[in-house]
Amino acid sequence: MDKINIGRHISGQFNEDLETVINHVMSMGGLVEKQLQDSITAMIEADEALAKEVLKSDYKINEFEVYIDEECSRIIAKRQPAAGDLRLIMAIIKTITDLERIGDEAEKIANVAQESFSKEQRDLLLNLENLGNSVLKMLQKTLDAFTRMDFDAAMKVHQHDTKIDREYEALMRQLMTYMMEDPRSIPQIMSVIWSARALERIGDRCQNICEYIMYFVKGKVFRHTSPEDMKNA
Amino acid sequence: MITVTPKALGDVPAPLDLANLSPEQTALEIKNLNLFYGDKQALHGIDMKIPKGQVTAFIGPSGCGKSTLLRCINRMNDLVDTCRIEGGIDLHGENIYGKHVDVAALRRKVGMVFQRPNPFPKSIYENVIYGLRITGEKNRRVLDEAVERSLKAAALWDEVKDRLHDSALGLSGGQQQRLVIARAIAIEPEVLLLDEPTSALDPISTLTIEELINDLKKQFTVVIVTHNMQQAARVSDQTAFMYMGDLIEYSDTNTLFTTPAKKQTEDYITGRYG
Repeated sequence: MDKINIGRHISGQFNEDLETVINHVMSMGGLVEKQLQDSITAMIEADEALAKEVLKSDYKINEFEVYIDEECSRIIAKRQPAAGDLRLIMAIIKTITDLERIGDEAEKIANVAQESFSKEQRDLLLNLENLGNSVLKMLQKTLDAFTRMDFDAAMKVHQHDTKIDREYEALMRQLMTYMMEDPRSIPQIMSVIWSARALERIGDRCQNICEYIMYFVKGKVFRHTSPEDMKNA
Repeated sequence: MITVTPKALGDVPAPLDLANLSPEQTALEIKNLNLFYGDKQALHGIDMKIPKGQVTAFIGPSGCGKSTLLRCINRMNDLVDTCRIEGGIDLHGENIYGKHVDVAALRRKVGMVFQRPNPFPKSIYENVIYGLRITGEKNRRVLDEAVERSLKAAALWDEVKDRLHDSALGLSGGQQQRLVIARAIAIEPEVLLLDEPTSALDPISTLTIEELINDLKKQFTVVIVTHNMQQAARVSDQTAFMYMGDLIEYSDTNTLFTTPAKKQTEDYITGRYG
């Protein structure tokens, strides 16, 4: 938080406004993290009640998104932020969009977890455990980098997404083999694929958030940039 | 700061490279300018090139030297007894502090508008042609044309065309300031210096003047000093941030207000303790 340097404005009210909005983003991040964790647990442990809980709680994330959006609009209208403050507000507006989408992906996973699978098919879902844990860890690290506005940490998490992509591809190959061996299982396997896809997308969204953190710290755009160019920036 | 321009937009002009302006692009070149009031040094080795046909803003806290620097450009500081200047300023390649420079002629080329509107206690018409009268212009048609042209350029013509011979003091503050700008541009200067031109005006008059500044740059090089950072951000093409007599940062306005290079600049424009 000290890197954000929000406590030094001559206007104490502006400090408070920024602190409040950052705290709200962190609360929203915590909520998204919990939703993702619960949806993965619900899927692995076939916990239907937990899956229902996830589906029921998504509205909280949506409310946060709308509310923080409005807070940012108010700050822009009243304070005309510039330089670092402006980049912070821009980064927040974009971050909460991605967080809300991560919430939606968690909802998709919870939906799959709710479907009834036979014992055999349930083993398929277990294949998602590794991918799910990697993605969850990535989200935690992303939120951590956001809290500290840590450029190096953001860069590290950003690069971690390649590992997620590789895990996802390996899982796809495995699932395709299952489908070829037993075409009757295709409908269930499709559900597993949707979940895997949702997890992979969450990795991409974390990557986006890392790009916003890097933009805030360095004032340079890191979107659509190759890893090499990123390192040299 | 725009780093990527969509190809679909075609050619979008890049911001000027302020350190390497060609002589044709440069209106004013300030060269290692040091200014002293008695023993106290108010400006420290200012080096900058101000491009032609654009709006350049000087910002900075009170006492940073921005008005002093502006006043150097038409040698207003000559009027201060204790003031001593080293270094020079070139206006279109000629040093305005050269030995044989006629200061009155210089001030015809470099017009100035101050914080408080200062119309003369004469008619609107006489105010506008004041500079032309001093140069000896008597032809009624030339004067009439100058009045219409200047008042139109200052976006005041429609409001006063039916009462040109009424006293200028009957105009509102915003109208008076536009009248003063009309007076400054009637003699067709090359550079127009604006020293906090809107600080005594209401927000609507301020916007009218800002709109006017945007039009004026088509004909003149405009240099503006302002306390209002948002105003600098709105009206200028490049911005110079000054602090304690030093030029801290000078770059195109979009860059300065989104990604300033210096921490001091960032602290100032975001309203932080220095």
